[in-house]
Amino acid sequence: MKDLAVEFRQKYAIAGIFLFVFVMVFLVFKAYGTINAREWSILIWVILLFTGLNAIIKSFMQESSGTYLYYYTLIEPIELLVSKIIYNFVLLTLLFLFIIGLMFVFVGFPVKDLSLFSIASLGGILGISAIFTFVSIISATDKGSGTMMSILALPLILPIFLLLLKTTTVSARLISDTSVYDDVMLIYGLDSMLIGLMIFLFPNLWRS
Amino acid sequence: MMNEQNIRVKGIYWKAAGCLLFLYVLIGGMIVPLKSGVTQLSTTSASSGDTLAITVTGYNTHFAEAKNNRAWLKIDSAHHIQSYNVKAIDENDIVLSFAIPNAMPTNETPVAATLLIDNEIDGVIVQPNAIFITNTRTDTTASATWMASALGDFNKVQGIKFPYRNILNETIRNTFFHVALWFAMFALLFAGVYYAIQYLRTGDYTMDIKSASYTKVAILYGMMGLLTGAIWGKFTWGTYWPNDIKLNMAAVAMMMYVAYLILRGSTTDYDKRAKTSASYSIFAFLALIPLLFIIPRINDSLHPGNGGNPALGGEDLDHTLRLFFYPSIIAQILLGLWMGQLLIRYEAIKERLLSKNKINQTPIVGQSNPI
Repeated sequence: MKDLAVEFRQKYAIAGIFLFVFVMVFLVFKAYGTINAREWSILIWVILLFTGLNAIIKSFMQESSGTYLYYYTLIEPIELLVSKIIYNFVLLTLLFLFIIGLMFVFVGFPVKDLSLFSIASLGGILGISAIFTFVSIISATDKGSGTMMSILALPLILPIFLLLLKTTTVSARLISDTSVYDDVMLIYGLDSMLIGLMIFLFPNLWRS
Repeated sequence: MMNEQNIRVKGIYWKAAGCLLFLYVLIGGMIVPLKSGVTQLSTTSASSGDTLAITVTGYNTHFAEAKNNRAWLKIDSAHHIQSYNVKAIDENDIVLSFAIPNAMPTNETPVAATLLIDNEIDGVIVQPNAIFITNTRTDTTASATWMASALGDFNKVQGIKFPYRNILNETIRNTFFHVALWFAMFALLFAGVYYAIQYLRTGDYTMDIKSASYTKVAILYGMMGLLTGAIWGKFTWGTYWPNDIKLNMAAVAMMMYVAYLILRGSTTDYDKRAKTSASYSIFAFLALIPLLFIIPRINDSLHPGNGGNPALGGEDLDHTLRLFFYPSIIAQILLGLWMGQLLIRYEAIKERLLSKNKINQTPIVGQSNPI
């Protein structure tokens, strides 16, 4: 779990990502002028997806193979995986809050049902960070490029992404849906499935 | 090593069975005619008390050839009238005359009436909601002119015929190819995932080749499934690709598996390639289940089997369709396994030649003779 602190020590990388987010939101704001609630709910997730992708690509690839060997001797693979997911989850949540804050300043905050929005969003971010972690492990063992990661990650993300769009539009009261909590359950179900699978698969990948 | 006795196709029985079954499905599925149906009515509305002469255009019908054409308008199980004059113009056109009684048995307006036409060649043709009768005079007590007996003495359809469905017409035959392709794709993907798990458990490199080969054939099947689905969609929905959740999710699923191919192609290190692609294929297979089965079901979809639409079973898959549908699934799975085995052998020979030519190549882990 010390991993978390290690990652946060690389302050300039984190700062770079936040600047990137700022520029993205500002660009979107200037390009659109006014943003309605529907566009708002799409934009926050698209921005989060692409900035998150950018941020997490770094998390596994930055480190040299020497560091990996050091980790390998030091800790259990599961521990490393869980700490990676937690780190990515925290990072994405911070990014998400940052995006929401910026959007609030520039265009406002259309969400009416805050509890639904936050519960669904946290579940979705957990799923996104799990998938990103998994894919970054695959492309890291692949000496991979960023393109490899986007190709692999984006189709896998899509179910969660669509569910998130739906819950966000519901929480902004654009559409009403009485069974929206089924969707929230589905998001968490997908999360637990993905993380369980990763814990099962990771030790195999890690050895190489 | 290769003497006369060894030069024969291995497992010839199931391969031949696959080919024969597929040939049977291909020929039978294309040749068996559809049942008769109604394509057009000259009028679809009437008022109570009217005398109605409807020209009905049929499909695959034998009105002129048949000696005993009869027709009924039916409102519910206890109320129907028989046509007093039936005149066949030619094989596909017939004029039916009805005298609709003044008194309707219900208070509703309009009343939907089902049209039934029966003759000894085509059997009974049922067209639900054919005529909408505007209810002008409501007199529920005097329903004497509606006959109350149940309709029963219909002729049976002769021979094997596929059911006639209004929006499907002849494309109902696509059931044997489109639907069966997806079934077979799942079977092959399952084989791929099974060998991926076997690879991760044992580290046997031949398992990786097997997993990849079956997955590749499954991707081919999936692509063909999308293609046959698009053709079907053009006929029934009017467009090759309606913006429908089921279709889009299927496209995403295929994207996921194309990414699998790219992942396999991106590295030449056997060990890493095998590990990453085995993990990814298990991951992708589990991601496929919500994509194809859960999300389309909780949203509205045009596609059968989703959003309240019925899928297999019920009226749509009757016994004549089953006669070809199940063999088609079996045939396509067998052919897919065969294709997969050919790929496995091709890959194995390629790897062996490569490792023979380049001695300094990474040694293949745990290779046994895969053929």
